[in-house]
Amino acid sequence: MTEHSEESTDSNQLRDNSSEQWLFVEAGKIRGLLFGIVGLAAGVGLLVVFQAHILATTCQYVVIQGKGVSSILPLAALLFLLAAGRCLLTAVLEINSAAAAAKVKQAVRSRLYRKIMALGPAGLPGDETGPLIETVTKGVDELEPYFTRFLPQLSLAAILPLMFLIVIVPSEWRSGLVLLFSAPFIPLFMILIGRGSEKLHRRQWGRLSRMAGHLLDLVQGLPDLIIFGAAKREATVVARVSDEYRSATMAVLRVAFLSAFALEFFATVGTALVAVIIGFRLLLGDLSLGEGLFVLLMAPEFYLPLRNLGLSYHARMQGVAAAERIAPLLARPLPEGFAGTFPAPSGPPAILFEGVTFRYGGVRGGVTAVDLELPAGSITALAGESGAGKTTLARLLVGLARPESGRILVNGHDLTTLAPDSWRSRLAWVPQTPYFTSGTVRENLLLGRPDADEDLINTALAAAAADQFISRLPRGLDTLLGDRGAGLSGGELRRLALARAYICQATLVVLDEPTAGLDAESERLVCEALKRVARGRTVLVISHREQTMSSTERVAEIVDGRIEQVLLSAEYLSRCEVPV
Amino acid sequence: MNQLVRFLIISRGQWFWMGAGIVLGVLVIFANTLLMAISGWFIASMAVSGSSGAAFNYFFPSASIRFLAIARTVGRYAERLVTHEATFRILSELRVWLFKRFEPLAPACLERYAGGDVTGRLRGDVDALETLYLKIIAPLAVGTLSILAALVFLLWFSPPSAGVMLLFLVLAGVVLPLLVRRFSEEPGRRSALLAAELRNKVTEGLQGVEELILLGAVERQAAVVDGLSAEVIAEQERLGRINGLSLGGMAFFAGSGVAAVLLTGSMQVASQQIPSPNLVMLLLFSAAIFEAAGLLPSALHLLPAAQESVSRIFELADAPIPVPDNPVSYDLPADSALCFSNVSASYLPGKPVLHNISLTVPAGGSVVLTGSSGIGKSLLVEILLRFRDYEGSVTVGGVEICDLPKETVIGMIAAVPQRPHLFNGTIRENILLGNVSADEEQLQQALKNSCLDLWVAALPLGMETMVGVSGSAVSGGEARRIALARALLKNAPILLLDEPTEGLDCATEREIVSRLNSWFRNAGTATMLVVSHRPACLQLGNSVIHL
Repeated sequence: MTEHSEESTDSNQLRDNSSEQWLFVEAGKIRGLLFGIVGLAAGVGLLVVFQAHILATTCQYVVIQGKGVSSILPLAALLFLLAAGRCLLTAVLEINSAAAAAKVKQAVRSRLYRKIMALGPAGLPGDETGPLIETVTKGVDELEPYFTRFLPQLSLAAILPLMFLIVIVPSEWRSGLVLLFSAPFIPLFMILIGRGSEKLHRRQWGRLSRMAGHLLDLVQGLPDLIIFGAAKREATVVARVSDEYRSATMAVLRVAFLSAFALEFFATVGTALVAVIIGFRLLLGDLSLGEGLFVLLMAPEFYLPLRNLGLSYHARMQGVAAAERIAPLLARPLPEGFAGTFPAPSGPPAILFEGVTFRYGGVRGGVTAVDLELPAGSITALAGESGAGKTTLARLLVGLARPESGRILVNGHDLTTLAPDSWRSRLAWVPQTPYFTSGTVRENLLLGRPDADEDLINTALAAAAADQFISRLPRGLDTLLGDRGAGLSGGELRRLALARAYICQATLVVLDEPTAGLDAESERLVCEALKRVARGRTVLVISHREQTMSSTERVAEIVDGRIEQVLLSAEYLSRCEVPV
Repeated sequence: MNQLVRFLIISRGQWFWMGAGIVLGVLVIFANTLLMAISGWFIASMAVSGSSGAAFNYFFPSASIRFLAIARTVGRYAERLVTHEATFRILSELRVWLFKRFEPLAPACLERYAGGDVTGRLRGDVDALETLYLKIIAPLAVGTLSILAALVFLLWFSPPSAGVMLLFLVLAGVVLPLLVRRFSEEPGRRSALLAAELRNKVTEGLQGVEELILLGAVERQAAVVDGLSAEVIAEQERLGRINGLSLGGMAFFAGSGVAAVLLTGSMQVASQQIPSPNLVMLLLFSAAIFEAAGLLPSALHLLPAAQESVSRIFELADAPIPVPDNPVSYDLPADSALCFSNVSASYLPGKPVLHNISLTVPAGGSVVLTGSSGIGKSLLVEILLRFRDYEGSVTVGGVEICDLPKETVIGMIAAVPQRPHLFNGTIRENILLGNVSADEEQLQQALKNSCLDLWVAALPLGMETMVGVSGSAVSGGEARRIALARALLKNAPILLLDEPTEGLDCATEREIVSRLNSWFRNAGTATMLVVSHRPACLQLGNSVIHL
């Protein structure tokens, strides 16, 4: 267990480095804005020096020289002005930060999303959609504090203390020395303690996050707890786990808070030492109150950038964690086998599968050594139990994946030699749950060919038996659909998808279970539409429904990834005893 | 405010820790401001005595400086530990309270909460409740108390300075945050809305990527996503600008406050109302106390959303129990025959799903229920589990199930529900949930009957393999088989299986069906009701009923 987590710590550090490099490259693209932020922050630092100087001088006038209020009025006015100036610079700085963040986020998200789409399922085997969505949306947002907090603080921690030291030393070089020598201890101890607590945290991370999510885990599983009579028993477990969670987390925090403790300790001791040195030099009359007070006011400011850097450590962790997910995706190579250049044939193609095998890299099912012929202009049903490999075969045919061995011939040419765009423009694919976006019916219909004219749309709707229900919609083709086509029934959406396939004027049409879950009447409408759409095209329909198969010419049966038999539809249906 | 009071009542066992955290917070701020004030007074007095030659006893101030420096450093550390200790103690207390409240509400009430997004929403809401003290109550209390104490201090030394500081502290700590909240309300709301929409479009795109590629529409859809992303980011940028103005305002009020105290203090020095070194003390004290005002904005900013979360949770906790437990009969049913007669039921009131359904499963018999999705097959299972109420009559061994204590009914049933939940633990822990006192042999038998034996044996950690959050480290089919093993281990007279082979490949499905069949024949007395639309599962029943 311990060994395992040590190992993961090492690999985490490795990944830290490469993702931090990526972050630096991205930072380079907004160099101008970042320099602006640092410059403005240095400007604020300069105003702080003036504020301290004027405050100290005024005190010198009033306390030592006994001047009246009227003589310090201009100085007080200047202080108000400086406060206003600081307000202005701070606001401009933050506005600049917001702009920098916006620029980075927009650019990264746009690139990342396009890259994921370009990789497609073939380039992202085994990646689940959920985490990808999370990375594109929240992950990109989490980059922000790295650029707007951590990077500027990193440069300011180097610039500001030096700047303050330069103004302090002429008045009080002894205090300057105290500050100079106490400063390096702060990052040193923070790094040492930070490493220690991070190690402690990483070692326990799995356990801690499990305990943190314990209640939600149980609440989600409440029905299961009730079924097994464990709900009452678990209430005591909740108390026990929360207590363990508290003591485990506190053990980590006791160390983690030490890093802030070290920072405060050195800053406080440094400031107190400066105060004492100044006090005694004032007592001896070696220093004016103005100079002394100025140095005392500057001492905490000297430590502030170091402190801010320490506080922005979390921003760095968050950014690096997000980059760890984003950078590898951007760097991933596009899948192979999609570099063909020949144009696809224009008429309905003849398809030949030759020993096609695709087993998801041996992970699960798939298809093995499939030989199958789809003559040009034919309509074939692909039947078989779920999990037998029907959808895999269809995805290989439309070119969403490439065979691991064997080949698919299109009019005698290997599919991989055809230009993907050209091939795609010749085919239409209607998956089990067709893609619909929130928008008008028309937008959804014209996804493949935004330039289709009204005649083509009407013909397509009629062919797909979609014209009637669309004319009944309150605003016809301009009716708004909800998410994933909400507002239309399953059968209506299938027919709409058929119409969309028709509009594409494809020569090869592949449909995955176009009638699954439909009642008999909807199925009849879809089947009739299917026959009309199939005219002059090569069609492959995945289905195990009798009525759907009867509207095809031939049935290919697939069992456990292999083609079992290919029969004429009538023959297949008469042989097949469909269980009731 | 009601929710806050209720929160305090629930966590009353931890008032000591909560109070201690707040007291320490105030002490730390005070140690810090006093440190600055005394340092200022000290060097001013040293300067005055240096220039006038008058003696000055510097032992008291320099000792105070040392003491306050240590108090501030150690106090800050202690404050952080104590507030976190309090937070985790409150968390313990709240979790037990919530769990006890939620238990009778599952699943009917929980699934209605937050439009079904129980995990996402509940996570955020419980989080808000658990950090209410740390992020809101403690900073508000510490900030307010420190400001009040600081005003008393100033009033003691220089009433006019107290007056102007009151003005600037209120401006910085209360007026400014409230203004910020008002102005960020609209962009905050819009950015949340747009972010949800962006997420939706990204989800649509990633789920429909195959079709978009084939339609050649990837670029067009990506442009839509870009557009939405730009809108979200514009709102976020607007929030960032408002934050910038607020930080700028803070700097302005702090600077002006000190300048104003400089004027009032100087006037008092000039009219000899206060000794001159006190001016420096007042100035440094005033500059430092703005730290207390700085605690208020973020707490006030988080307050409305937290209040919303907390009231959502309390509303859920107060929901009426969906299926009340009012037993009238305590006799154990004679056998395990199941009988539904004229049963009607629904998931949501007014949307009936089952209509006058009647069916019987004889004791020791097995029935497979089929029918298209949405017809209410799973609802029948949930009625038996007493998760849903029903009209008509449902009996077990001749006794109406709503007359029996829930515990009795559920004690007779083992089930694989429609969406079984795997707990974030090992495979062994998840299976043993079915029967904590099962021995190794029974466990192995359950593994075998659910076709898990070979798979588990091939895992490097075997039964000690972690299944991940909600079973994320195992496949859907494996999760279902673990749930099946768990149900078989319970060894109850009635076995309810809702789609037991979902997510399995054909070969495994056939194997499971044959192993379950031989288990059923050997078990002899068990009564089995299977809900499935898969042809292979039909063989599990003596009879098949099509709904």
